[in-house]
Amino acid sequence: MKNIKNLIQTLFIAGIIMSNIHCAKSPEITELYQSESPLITFRIQINAGSINDPQGKEGLNALTALTIGQGGTKELTYQQVLDKLYPWAASINPQVDKEVTVFIGEVHKDHLDEFYKILSELVINPRFDEADFQRSKDLLLNHIKNTLRGTDDENLGKQALNAFMYEEHPYRTTEIGTVQGLEAITLQDVKDYHKKVYTKDNIKVGIAGGYPKSLLDKIKSDFAQLPSGKIAPVNLPQPKEIKDMEILFVEKPARGTAISMGFPIPITRKDKDYYALMVANSYFGEHRTFNGVLMNRLRGDRGLNYGDYSYIEHFIQDGGSRFQLPNNPRRQQYFSIWIRPVQPENAHFAIRNAMYELKKLVENGLTPEQFEMTRKFLINYSKLWVQTTSRRLGYQMDSEFYGTEFFIDSIEKELKALKVEDVNNAIKKYLSAENIKVAVVANDAATLMDAMFNNAPSPIKYASPVSQNILDEDKIIENFPLKINKEKSKLVKVDELFEK
Amino acid sequence: MIRFNLVLLFFLLPFLVFGKGENKIFPYKINQVTLDNGLKIISVPFPSPGIVAYYTVVRAGSRNEIEPGLSGFAHFFEHMMFRGTEKYNKDKYNDILKMIGADNNAFTTDDYTAYHTVASSAELETIMDIESDRFMNLKYSEEDFKTEAGAILGEYNKNFSSPFMTIYEKLREAAYDKHTYKHTTMGFLKDILDMPNQYEYSLKFFDRWYRPENCAVIVVGDFNQEKLIELAKKYYGSWKRGSYTLNVPLDPPQKKEKIVNLTWKAKTLPIVAIGYRGPAFSTEQKDMLTMDIISQLVFSQTSPLYTKLVIEKQWVEFIEGSQSDSRDPGLFTIFTRIKDPQNIETVKKEIYTALEDIKNNPVSEEKLATVKSYLKYSFAMSLNNADVVASKLSHYYQLTGDPESINKVYELYEKITPEDIMEIAKKYFTNENRTVVTLVQEGLGNEKY
Repeated sequence: MKNIKNLIQTLFIAGIIMSNIHCAKSPEITELYQSESPLITFRIQINAGSINDPQGKEGLNALTALTIGQGGTKELTYQQVLDKLYPWAASINPQVDKEVTVFIGEVHKDHLDEFYKILSELVINPRFDEADFQRSKDLLLNHIKNTLRGTDDENLGKQALNAFMYEEHPYRTTEIGTVQGLEAITLQDVKDYHKKVYTKDNIKVGIAGGYPKSLLDKIKSDFAQLPSGKIAPVNLPQPKEIKDMEILFVEKPARGTAISMGFPIPITRKDKDYYALMVANSYFGEHRTFNGVLMNRLRGDRGLNYGDYSYIEHFIQDGGSRFQLPNNPRRQQYFSIWIRPVQPENAHFAIRNAMYELKKLVENGLTPEQFEMTRKFLINYSKLWVQTTSRRLGYQMDSEFYGTEFFIDSIEKELKALKVEDVNNAIKKYLSAENIKVAVVANDAATLMDAMFNNAPSPIKYASPVSQNILDEDKIIENFPLKINKEKSKLVKVDELFEK
Repeated sequence: MIRFNLVLLFFLLPFLVFGKGENKIFPYKINQVTLDNGLKIISVPFPSPGIVAYYTVVRAGSRNEIEPGLSGFAHFFEHMMFRGTEKYNKDKYNDILKMIGADNNAFTTDDYTAYHTVASSAELETIMDIESDRFMNLKYSEEDFKTEAGAILGEYNKNFSSPFMTIYEKLREAAYDKHTYKHTTMGFLKDILDMPNQYEYSLKFFDRWYRPENCAVIVVGDFNQEKLIELAKKYYGSWKRGSYTLNVPLDPPQKKEKIVNLTWKAKTLPIVAIGYRGPAFSTEQKDMLTMDIISQLVFSQTSPLYTKLVIEKQWVEFIEGSQSDSRDPGLFTIFTRIKDPQNIETVKKEIYTALEDIKNNPVSEEKLATVKSYLKYSFAMSLNNADVVASKLSHYYQLTGDPESINKVYELYEKITPEDIMEIAKKYFTNENRTVVTLVQEGLGNEKY
């Protein structure tokens, strides 16, 4: 393709605009000033997440955030807050993860002063009405008891993998806790948690857009009202070692069979090898594109399901885009494969197919051509991840968490310096086609478990014929040996998950 | 201080001013050029340095699936469009997108199908080359076609692990008799299962709808207008017009309330969906836009109904009610998830009471002004990147054939009065025009639903 130029060059020439980021102490402020932007975004980050939940009160961090974010201030009830925000089409949304919690506020600058007052008051002086607390508690409990256990098999599979992968680890619960944990939480617990955790030393305020500079001083003085004190960092032990394939079968009524598989990896964005592994992962399973091996082999060639992807860190899609939601950084990450629901009769085959491809990746790595193309893709594609100031601000705050340059800049810098050997070495070092945990959500999990434990052949059932070369490969895949650790594998009813 | 060498997209000064009569809500100039073959090239210069959003909009969606047994085909066809041509087979097509680092996908709705790419402006010609090629020269084998049918079934399985999809499917099926809005964009399951046998129909579908006079190319971002039109003529100029005329069977007015009760095997709280047959989209008649305002007055977070059900009584987890814009008369749909099965009937009554109230009591001018303010600010604040702008233009173009509809909508909102609201509410929110679907968990002893 002679007309394909290097996108990066084009972007640089066209788009050099100055942005200022500076930090100040207590609270820290991350600033992304753009004078001409009338949309102002706040990302108020609390340096605490579900790992800070006390034992027996799992969900306290999330319930506190929700009671605050969907509650009132000392002056205004929740209803009055909604009435104020409505004509401005302004929004305040809490977002919780394992290690950080973020309140995201967006407003047009016509209403900035009034909006900021409400947002800051919510965080600094929340109302903590009993009714707001109860409504938030119901919402979180129903999310686990009904949505996750009953009506969202894909996320159930992901959360089941998380629970299985991080047994006895601070990451083990969902980001919103457990059923028994949430049920045990009182409004007083929430108030106490706010007092202890929402300190000026534990908060970082991110702001982006065309705000008046005087606002920064106001933020500093307002948040300085919060008490001092940092919470002690939660120690993260190494997750349990995985031996062979360990499977968690989750039984529930389900049309298709949802599958998630993976294992912890000891690197994050702060590590050089992360960027090498990023290339390997993009080649193998870039999220919601047809670039990846998994997508092309499982869906493209065989029509097994809607999509098949892989990840080297916790990944949540941002709304309807194909890009990663910012502001959920973690000190420990994991590699995962997401196989979207397959017909139950093809579940065993689909797992084998994914493992067959993973084994090929681990054994063969990438060719120089595959490496070059994937590297180029990522350098260009990553530029599209920050098309709005809100997302850019989120990525900047994540970069500060990891202690790196701006992530998108790091990708370019690190990827440009990579060689194919670096990528293939990283694959050998961090990926395994043998020691992996699998979570399977299935209607008839017991039958699938029997078939997998017995390593029974699993011929794929096609609705219509496919070409001979695919059928030939199917013969290998349907008997592809999976070394299953039966002792560590188990079958659970869905109601047993996320209970305590 | 850190200096970023990245594109920045916020230069939205123009949208700071609106609501002053002569100012349009959409702050950018919309260029429209129609090629000799009828293809519209709609373009909007937008301050996204180095980036361009490229949409191809086909005015065909599940509304066009008029033949029995072939529901879901517009969506299926969207998948087939990624299966390649002689010049660029699917691998080559993907390789090109990969090389340029493009964000590329497609979606199908009731009324239209959109293929969208966001990438470097420098690659505009590359994008136009591969996109025009597949719209004019798509070629796939019967085997590829059958394999893709598996992915559609996978998508159905993925979506239908949620009871919301099931309840929505049943609501539409009950609310319409003949019109193609009877089925969702996914199509009926029996038709999806039969898709592998419909290769010949797929060719017919392409031949009918993927024609220049039924499509528009929408380009938003950083580009040169002259060059764009020159390229459009070069790459799309030979695309031949079609001749098929669509006749969608219209339903007569609904005469009687329809009730559907469902059970769900997995865990769920009770869900109620209520549909009222509503108007079609129009920038001339006030009906559809008044329904948008009613949606806000009755179901937004500041409405008395929301306050009572969600905040005060806490009987429901959420409630929402709205009507999507549609080319033919659509469905105003209310969804709520109720915490206790005992309250199902009470909640329904509360909803009906709120709708009676909007029919009989004029809303204050002050309240109406807050709704209009909300609609304007939420629209203006959404225009924060080239992709969103192209998506909004696509939506309004497909409804009327004219992207300027985007401005007309917000001009017409301004003219809606409290009297209009009562009149339109009386017209559509009647008992006989209603379909009610209730879904409860199986085995909990409340299966009267």
